[in-house]
Amino acid sequence: MSARKRTLLKVIILGDSGVGKTSLMNQYVNKKFSNQYKATIGADFLTKEVQVEDRLVTMQIWDTAGQERFQSLGVAFYRGADCCVLVYDVNVMKSFDNLDNWREEFLIQASPSDPENFPFVVLGNKVDVDGGNSRVVSEKKAKAWCAAKGGIPYFETSAKEDFNVDAAFQCIAKNALKNETEEEIYLPDTIDVNASRVPKASGCEC
Amino acid sequence: MGGQSGPTMDSGDFIDESDYKSSAQAVKSSKTIQGGSSSLSGSESGKMMVGNGGPDSYEVVFVKDNVSVHPTQNASERISGRLRLIKQGASLFMTWIPYTVKGGGRQGSSIMKSAEKDRNLYTIRAVSLAEMRSIRRHTPPFGLQYIIIVLTSGLAFPPLYFHTGGVREFLSTLRNHALLVRSNDDSNVYLVNDVQDPLQRSLTSLELTEVTPVAVVVEPPPIVTKKDETVQPVEESPASTSMQTSVYRQGPRREASREIINVLEKFSMVTKFARDTTAHLFGESRLLGNSEMDFDRGPMRLRNEGSVSKSTGELPPVDGAQEPVKDGKEAAAKDEGKDTKKAQDEESEKQKRIANEEASTNVGSFELVDGTKNDTPALVWGRARPPPLGHEEWVTFLDREGRVVDSKALKKRVFHGGVEPNLRPELWKFLLGHYKFDSTYAERNALVSSKREEYKVLQAQWKTVSEDQAKRFAKFRERKHRVEKDVIRTDRTIPFYEGDDNRNVELLRDILVTYSFYNFDLGYCQGMSDLLSPILYVMEDESEAFWCFAALMERMAPNFHRDQNGMQAQLSALSKLVQLLDTPLHDYFKQNECLNYFFCFRWILICFKREFDYNDVLRLWEVLWSHYLSEHFHLYMCVAILKRHRRKIMDEQMEFDTLLKFINELSGHIELESTLRDTEALCLFAGEKGAACIPPGTPPSLPVVEVDPFAVSLESSQNL
Repeated sequence: MSARKRTLLKVIILGDSGVGKTSLMNQYVNKKFSNQYKATIGADFLTKEVQVEDRLVTMQIWDTAGQERFQSLGVAFYRGADCCVLVYDVNVMKSFDNLDNWREEFLIQASPSDPENFPFVVLGNKVDVDGGNSRVVSEKKAKAWCAAKGGIPYFETSAKEDFNVDAAFQCIAKNALKNETEEEIYLPDTIDVNASRVPKASGCEC
Repeated sequence: MGGQSGPTMDSGDFIDESDYKSSAQAVKSSKTIQGGSSSLSGSESGKMMVGNGGPDSYEVVFVKDNVSVHPTQNASERISGRLRLIKQGASLFMTWIPYTVKGGGRQGSSIMKSAEKDRNLYTIRAVSLAEMRSIRRHTPPFGLQYIIIVLTSGLAFPPLYFHTGGVREFLSTLRNHALLVRSNDDSNVYLVNDVQDPLQRSLTSLELTEVTPVAVVVEPPPIVTKKDETVQPVEESPASTSMQTSVYRQGPRREASREIINVLEKFSMVTKFARDTTAHLFGESRLLGNSEMDFDRGPMRLRNEGSVSKSTGELPPVDGAQEPVKDGKEAAAKDEGKDTKKAQDEESEKQKRIANEEASTNVGSFELVDGTKNDTPALVWGRARPPPLGHEEWVTFLDREGRVVDSKALKKRVFHGGVEPNLRPELWKFLLGHYKFDSTYAERNALVSSKREEYKVLQAQWKTVSEDQAKRFAKFRERKHRVEKDVIRTDRTIPFYEGDDNRNVELLRDILVTYSFYNFDLGYCQGMSDLLSPILYVMEDESEAFWCFAALMERMAPNFHRDQNGMQAQLSALSKLVQLLDTPLHDYFKQNECLNYFFCFRWILICFKREFDYNDVLRLWEVLWSHYLSEHFHLYMCVAILKRHRRKIMDEQMEFDTLLKFINELSGHIELESTLRDTEALCLFAGEKGAACIPPGTPPSLPVVEVDPFAVSLESSQNL
């Protein structure tokens, strides 16, 4: 472990198509917003260096296709994740209802070692739309769902207005790091060399 | 010759020079041109300087006559020509131009035409030294010396046989102009421009060390005495064997095609060549054993862009690109743009240039022509593609009632040249299968109007859903919502779709929602809007676009199935193709757990739609939809692109995530034409073995209808 100065945290963003996954990622990493991001086909990721408490870590944020039909790809992309971000659109009820499916699908495909305690973070996005007038999922309802799932942290965000995005990702990084550290303790080094989890120094530069 | 033959392909060498006006005189002066044959008098490997030393000037630093390609082991089928090294600025180019065959005329026998085609197929037009990876010299104790040149793209030219010696001289000339490193493992292998990479690694990746030199058996060729059909290239008489090499083949070439799947029928010679040469070099058992087959070891660069021909054969060949020197000049001009410094010490300058480019690209020297670096064509050699099919030529494909007489010739024409934009609306309907090739004008007119009515009915099925009804129809609401989410972010930077309240965006939505009613089981899936957008752009008609899209989806639907079976089938076929065509790369992917090929998912799902700019997508799709060499040309294209970057992928030890990122970021940096050429060569090279990697029914093949075996075979033969 000593060879690895920097920790790489793998974060997966999931949620229905059009809820703003790509926008959130780009707002956080590149501080840019465009309402013309194309629908994500397959998957892509961006990386960002972040300071979490005293540690400098690299967050590898994976953006995936939002249509559930492509979920079978997940097995390749979710593996080795340290945190999963579930995004819904506060203006679309269905996208909130689907959080359950996304969460379960993730746990099945990523098969983390400790599913009960695997860190999720929920983001209710697009709070800016129509001044909040077209909102159909209340904050209360969302928080209740998060509490029922074991106290998942919840943030209301607007990728467009850059509202709460940094705070949300700080939390995501923190939770991912917690998960990372715990796994390091439990897993012997020989397993930790696992290809997809620990990239070589050259592997995390993009 | 002159008036009789005109500017035809068989004028070969002569035309090359005369078209290049500024230098024509100087070149001609050193040659004797007689009856269409060009020959070099005096020193065989003399030098000549053309021009005034300015940027336009070039210098022929090496000439060797009677260098031949042996398409088959049959001596009478050899094609003889002239090998030259041409220096221009700091760049060096190699050309090999087959001799002209005299007599017969281009409208002559079919034998004549096929001989012409052969010559054009193998012609090497101005390949830059920067594109060469290695040269292997073969000097068997008995028989002819030959060389095999492997390009950085992993492809290679067929063996060039030196009938009058001169391999050593060729190499020493090269050494004067480029960095040539002799492998210490195999003294017959020279690595070109290999300044950075450890020699060992290069050799390992090339796997040249494994190649067992095979003595070339040169059968005493039959003496052919039909003087009017042969050309004698050189006065200075070469060895008797080489006298026959310029004789074009006489026998029919049909035999080989029996063994070859139908799509390759017209290329049987090529495939036969590929097989023969490979077997020739590595032993039959090796080729057939296949597990060790590595494209790097025994491939050849094949081209058939010269074979622009309709069934009638009337089309004059495109001569624009038959100018090796000009090609070289253009490429050199580009190079000069990059490094403005005048070369003083040429050798060091050359090295410096290579080093500079490496520094800027961080790509190995073998990848200097990498498409990620710039937009210039990676390969300057080769004939430019023929002009797109235009209206005037199109009508010549039709009979009086409007039926396409020879659909295969049409597909071939589209494959090579594409279609002019104003003809696309018409042609795409055929390519996509909305129009049948054997339909008449009248039938098509009737189809258009009946389908327009049918479309209206389909669309009314959802347009008439009232708000009240929609409230109780969640599936409809979700479907429409999903489509709307996607159309507003599909190609909005293209003028056709840009701006608020764009009518064409609404049309995209209407067509996609209507399709999801037409094919309710499949519904709408992400990626469909990408496939529809260019079709609507070309058709500019809602109903026509819909039916073309529906026809395309007949082939593509399995890509969007919930179980992803269509994608899985293609990714698995791709994996097999890479294993066949680049075993080391396959092994690398295997080691790094990348064999699922998910990093190619986007390429395949939407046919490279996100990888090229809009116009290139139109051009590419025409090529793919022509289904000319293979219905799965796109898979070979994946291989071609991966091969082009194989070195970077392996050197940088990319793993699944970095590889996916790398592939995603190639978007917008893939040069289409050179990629198509590489793909074509790969596809031809892979031949039946490649086709065998792709199970029947793999999209975009039409699904295999599981009835009785007889019916299935009937259907698949129709698909071809």
